[in-house]
Amino acid sequence: MTGAPNRADSPLLCVEDLVVEFRGGGLFSIGAEKVHAVRSISFVVGQGEAYGLVGESGSGKTTTGRCVLGLQVPTSGRIQLGSDDVVELRRRDSGALHRRIQAVFQNPVASLNPAMSVEEILAEPLRRLLGIRDRSAARRRSKDLLDEVRLPSDMLDRRPTELSGGQAQRVSIARALAPEPSLIVLDEAVSALDVATQAQVINLLADLRDETSVSYLFIAHDLAVVRHLCDRIGVMSTGEIVEEGTASAICHTPTDGYTQRLLAAVPVPDPTVKRVRHGLVNS
Amino acid sequence: MKSALRRLVTRPGGYIPLIWLMLLTFCAAFPAVVATHEPNAADFTAILEGPSAEHWFGTDDLGRDNYSRLVHSSRTAVVAGLQAVGTALILGVPIGLFVGYAGGWWDRIVMRIVDAVFSLPGLILAFAIVAILGPGITNAMIAVGILFALRFIRLTRAMVLSVREEPFIEAAQLSGAPTHTILGRYLLPNMYGPLIVQTTISLAAVLLIEAALSFLGLGVQQPDATWGSMLRAARSLQRDNPITPWPPGLAITFTVLAFNALGDALRDVLAEGRGGRKKAARRGVAVGLAEDAAAHDHEHPSEEAAGTGTLLSVRNLDVTVPTDTGRARAVRDVSFDVQAGEIVGLVGESGSGKTVTALAVAGLLPRGLAVDPRASITFDGRQLVGMTESQLAGVRGTGIGMIFQDPTASLNPALTVGFQLAEPLRIHGGMTRSAAAERAAELLDRVGVANPRQRLRDYPHQFSGGVAQRVMTAMALASEPSLIIADEPTTALDVTTQQQVLELLVELCEDLSMAMLFITHDLGVVAEVCDRAVVMYAGEAVETGDVYGLFAQPCHPYSQALLASVPLLDADDDRLVTIGGRVPAPNEEFGGCRFANRCELAAEICEEGPVSLKPLEDEGRLSRCVLVDSAPANGGKS
Amino acid sequence: MVRTFAYRLAAAVPLAVLVSFLAFGLVHLIPGSASETILGDGATLEAVAELDRQLGLDRPLHEQYWNWVTDAVRGDLGRSVITSRHVSDTLIERYPVTLSVAGGGLLVAVAIGVAGGTVAALRQGRLTDRLISLGTATGLAVPNFWVAVLLAFYVGVQLGWLPAVGYVGPTESLFEWVKHLIMPSIALGLGSAAVVARQMRGGLLDVLDRPYITAARAKGLRYRRVVVVHAMKNAFIPVVTVIGFQASVMLGGAVLVELIFGMPGIGVQVVGAVLSQDLPVVQGVVMVASLTVIVMNVLIDMSYAYFDPRVRLA
Repeated sequence: MTGAPNRADSPLLCVEDLVVEFRGGGLFSIGAEKVHAVRSISFVVGQGEAYGLVGESGSGKTTTGRCVLGLQVPTSGRIQLGSDDVVELRRRDSGALHRRIQAVFQNPVASLNPAMSVEEILAEPLRRLLGIRDRSAARRRSKDLLDEVRLPSDMLDRRPTELSGGQAQRVSIARALAPEPSLIVLDEAVSALDVATQAQVINLLADLRDETSVSYLFIAHDLAVVRHLCDRIGVMSTGEIVEEGTASAICHTPTDGYTQRLLAAVPVPDPTVKRVRHGLVNS
Repeated sequence: MKSALRRLVTRPGGYIPLIWLMLLTFCAAFPAVVATHEPNAADFTAILEGPSAEHWFGTDDLGRDNYSRLVHSSRTAVVAGLQAVGTALILGVPIGLFVGYAGGWWDRIVMRIVDAVFSLPGLILAFAIVAILGPGITNAMIAVGILFALRFIRLTRAMVLSVREEPFIEAAQLSGAPTHTILGRYLLPNMYGPLIVQTTISLAAVLLIEAALSFLGLGVQQPDATWGSMLRAARSLQRDNPITPWPPGLAITFTVLAFNALGDALRDVLAEGRGGRKKAARRGVAVGLAEDAAAHDHEHPSEEAAGTGTLLSVRNLDVTVPTDTGRARAVRDVSFDVQAGEIVGLVGESGSGKTVTALAVAGLLPRGLAVDPRASITFDGRQLVGMTESQLAGVRGTGIGMIFQDPTASLNPALTVGFQLAEPLRIHGGMTRSAAAERAAELLDRVGVANPRQRLRDYPHQFSGGVAQRVMTAMALASEPSLIIADEPTTALDVTTQQQVLELLVELCEDLSMAMLFITHDLGVVAEVCDRAVVMYAGEAVETGDVYGLFAQPCHPYSQALLASVPLLDADDDRLVTIGGRVPAPNEEFGGCRFANRCELAAEICEEGPVSLKPLEDEGRLSRCVLVDSAPANGGKS
Repeated sequence: MVRTFAYRLAAAVPLAVLVSFLAFGLVHLIPGSASETILGDGATLEAVAELDRQLGLDRPLHEQYWNWVTDAVRGDLGRSVITSRHVSDTLIERYPVTLSVAGGGLLVAVAIGVAGGTVAALRQGRLTDRLISLGTATGLAVPNFWVAVLLAFYVGVQLGWLPAVGYVGPTESLFEWVKHLIMPSIALGLGSAAVVARQMRGGLLDVLDRPYITAARAKGLRYRRVVVVHAMKNAFIPVVTVIGFQASVMLGGAVLVELIFGMPGIGVQVVGAVLSQDLPVVQGVVMVASLTVIVMNVLIDMSYAYFDPRVRLA
């Protein structure tokens, strides 16, 4: 987290007054109540910065991520990537957008097409986004990518069903790295993994950031994980960012009531703290 | 796909129908080679003969050879099937792909029409079509093909809708794949299986329709034979020659059977290819447990005298699972105690055997899994290993309450919460309906559900996850148990909800002096709620002890590494300690310690032989490591 | 209950309209016109045109449709081109026979299917299960008209246990009615019984896999109670769908089977009409059979509400 807070000075991603509404009810219910998934949020991710969006289910954090990726059209507001508007760029040239923004999703195995080999999965962005059509060149690059995520190159011939959760998630990360994007959206990218595997992937993500100076928008429900990886954190609740600050400020000196409740609820692996039981003894 | 084909032809369900269908195709292609007579050649010297060397299946009223007519009929069957199913595929798959992917109005309009036509009686529509087009097989089969295209539209669309929700489709968009690539390379290949299965089943159905039309005289016209028209003729001939209805009837039956069997075999093979092999050992009833165990006497080695307050005592628990290579041990030599009123955590990663251990204690193992009869599980003085299913049900109903991981899935969607809560009260407590309802409301109130009386009438889908888990807790309390087994009860919940449920559970244990066996993968939760914990790894209990000692000074190298890999809120160091490699599967056997291949401290001695769970110097602590004796444990986080 | 039924029936009206389009459209898809059919090959153009005018076939299509549909709603489905009898008279006389056979077949299908599927699921993997699986595979493959032919000959003629031909109405003799329906119902219902049994077995196994079944067992309930109270109702939801489909299969199959057993249903009429292109009869049969299926589906839809509370509240 060396000198991290200043990274926001050179913004890479600018989200301004983002609003997303879904129409509730059935297909034919005219005038049905609108559901506000995201109500006017703004945040900035700097060059090389890791920004964490934390919240519980239904807080709107995933919808925000989908908007940034161009997979969801916002109701209003602006998402600026460098000097380009994401919605506009997506409409004009989605390839240009996805050369710069990539993503890793939650479910490692379901994120990979079961009908393709790892080599084919990695070749897709190389061919479509970078125009590398030569098979051997693509294979060479794919091997490098696997090497970057600490996987042996013989994995190229495997199929997703033959991979463990941790391996599959590394392949997803390699795919996201393929076009050398400036921003990767990590949507609950480690929450489906076991503790030991999760630690491996968290370390890998930290290393990759040091090596490639890529930025992360890290979306997760687990504050401890986010704190480990991110420079700054925005805490989301019911579609709004209720508090934003550096990772250590959020975790040590939260000011917002919801953030405080959220922090208090995170179980701590130290029985001398034992708040659940102490709380009872005290009450 | 290649390996799927190999698996298909090596199983009887696959190759027997394939052989029949190949024979049929050969007959259809070269009927003259297979037949013994000219199919339409009348022979008035041999009318209505029974089977003979000359006429294997006898002759009909014009002296025509039944066998040869049967062989020649196969062409009609094959051609009719191909025409109809071909039409269905060519029309159905593209339309289904299109409406599924495009969605919106296209989808709604097309599916309305498809649903409408689908709900009409098919055979009667076929009559209508024949009435328009006039009798004749090709027209009729193309018309049937159009009707069957509806099936393929439905199937393809449904698959597109389910596959397009998969994250890999979004990932493909991010990889820059254009729409036609997504349809062709991502959607279609994942649909081949069901499409092929539907094709074989449709061939079978089309064959039956063709036979029915021919039987009614609406299909192929005389003198050419089809199986259906032969059956039609047989109706009047069977009195004089009883064999006549059998060859065509059996030919239809075998062919339809072959298509259906092939479809089933394909479905199985493809499901296995998807890693669905586990499905073979379906979850179900743990009948195996009681039956296997009943045959053995119980000698329980190394059973320490359980303390006076010991409520549950597990000794040398082994649970085996069926695998491709015989039975493997999913739980190995697990021993631990739960004292009355105590909360004991069973903690480990996936594959550690913690849930299987818990289910074994409750006698609720999925079908196929079995407790080794030499194990001992004593609860409240009773030996559970070897009990029959109904004896176990008695124990569960009166002494042990259970809470599961997914609260909404653990409540029966078809029954009201009130019914589900009152059920054990009426059955075990012998309460009347109204008394049980009264008590159920009290229980809901006790677990903090607002408006308990009204909520009794609600169905499970009307509850949020957190409240549903409170309802599950109330249900576990219904039998006034002395032990609660909670299997990852808060894993599916948000962190603030988790805290509320944990507080409730701990409070209930203290107020009602219940003990709890708490299964979790979250070390934080263990530290928050448990008195003692059992750390599990690859089926074994590797360390047990009270949580204060365990978290302050974990002894086993695995416990140390696991604890160090947990991300903390207030850590100074960003780097997490990791464990290389992966958890071994139940069927992986090692000469020595099961953790040795991932352990940083591993030495030669670790590989020499199985390691047992040994008491440490600290009171009440056990560890399964040969090195712990020689190297005193130092702090977990280094 | 009645109100829900009426409401759902009203919701099915668009489907009925679609069916009427289809049935009406039949006439105009045919090469040549009804008049040509009636008058035969030797008819002069003038004669055909004259008959067209008499039958109203020279009017614009939408007008013809409107006339046809308003007549149909009043119960007038036109006259047979061949016999000149009112189609509605023929249907009133013969359709109950076909319905009896279809109903009997459905009864056999549901009774055997549900019982067989349940037993197979509870004995999963054992001999009983395998025998039932073999039975369902065979049941799916055997053509119902073949079974009918064999039953009529062996049980009806050779053994003489049950009447091989004919039909007696329930108002005449309930006992004879049932007796005449036994063989046709079995012949018709066996195939559908196999379909229902498969779904029942699969559905029950699927439900027995669910966490709430484990949870019910964890409450200390006996296994029998778990199956009957907690599993059956949920397992029945997909079975109901299948039964709905089979209802329409039964109706088509009944036409075949009643022919073989010499029963005076619509079978003989419709096959004759198809061969002679007697379109008003075909139209009428398509209309009535489709409406029967539509009503049946409304009933099936309503039964979901009993099995699945999520539907009730939706």
